[in-house]
Amino acid sequence: DALLGCHRSYRSRPTHGIGKFKYLLPKEVPKKRKEKVQMKEISAGTEYQYGDINIQMTSYDLCLVEHFAQYVHRLCNRLSIQVTESYAMPTKTNEVLYLEERGSKMQLDAVLTTHQRVVQIRGLSSTFAPILLEVIQSSQPEGVHLLMKQHTEADFKSRLKSRPELEELLAEMS
Amino acid sequence: CYFSSCSSWLPQRLPLRGSHWQSSLLEFRTSLPVRAQPKKKKKVDVKKEQAQKERMKKKLKKLEKAAPELIPIEDFITPLKYSESNRVRSLPPLSPEESERRVLLLKKWCLFKQKQDEAEKKAIKTLVECQQEALKELRLESEELYQAAIRRDEGLFPFQREGPTHTPPLPGYDPPEGKCTDITKVYTQ
Repeated sequence: DALLGCHRSYRSRPTHGIGKFKYLLPKEVPKKRKEKVQMKEISAGTEYQYGDINIQMTSYDLCLVEHFAQYVHRLCNRLSIQVTESYAMPTKTNEVLYLEERGSKMQLDAVLTTHQRVVQIRGLSSTFAPILLEVIQSSQPEGVHLLMKQHTEADFKSRLKSRPELEELLAEMS
Repeated sequence: CYFSSCSSWLPQRLPLRGSHWQSSLLEFRTSLPVRAQPKKKKKVDVKKEQAQKERMKKKLKKLEKAAPELIPIEDFITPLKYSESNRVRSLPPLSPEESERRVLLLKKWCLFKQKQDEAEKKAIKTLVECQQEALKELRLESEELYQAAIRRDEGLFPFQREGPTHTPPLPGYDPPEGKCTDITKVYTQ
């Protein structure tokens, strides 16, 4: 007990820090805690600047839309426009059925997957917006549908899983 | 229908009892006291309701504690069938002419892309310069118009545009009848 209670370090002596060993061990990486998916604050923007804008690119072709999203992201980096987020929306699958010429049964034509990528930018100045729009439109590839709109909470919520139990309980409570 | 036949030959002296529950012969809708449970005591009811409410609140708290999850994106998950098989592609060795041709092609492509990129940068630069000059002139003309021009355009967003198509739409094309069904997998937490 007397040994543990001793606080004198004797810094002038060569035996200073004799009991230390933690500096010899490999550095422990702190445990990665699961980060809660929280919505970032949506900025409304001032009179001369737009707030959060979503550039949504939709297409049936995955590679094309992916490459276009990368191009837009790099363009914004180059033009020093702040890119807050760059994510992918969940894919939608559609089954296309067509009616045969001679027959009443629906025939399966194809299974199409729609992919969507979103690049979110902030602080776009009002004078530069039309220029950016022009540049993106001129390099828009075939079959890629471009949509630019302001970011809303509903857009963020559409990325999350639905919780029917919670909704049921809330409905019952109120 | 038994009762109706019964009524036909009975002398019409007594008012008929429609059902055996109908006790008084005077009025229509009086009945015997129903031998149900005696009225539940109010205290037990309230307690039960309170307990139920508390249970629901606890459940709600538990569910609300769990953080909402993002829907997993199927694009980024490689299907298992591509990672299970061990087949390896064996390519034939390239001849020196072929490799030389490829390298030269790559260089040409790099140059083409560089020229394209530079042209784009130059175009953006000229656009910005012209815009700035125009705004400067406008400012000299009238301060009010300049201020109005600087403001952000509310009608700009939302903005939509379809990508350019390879061929124009065929005139007089009659598409076959059909329907499109959405079969996306719904994820619930």
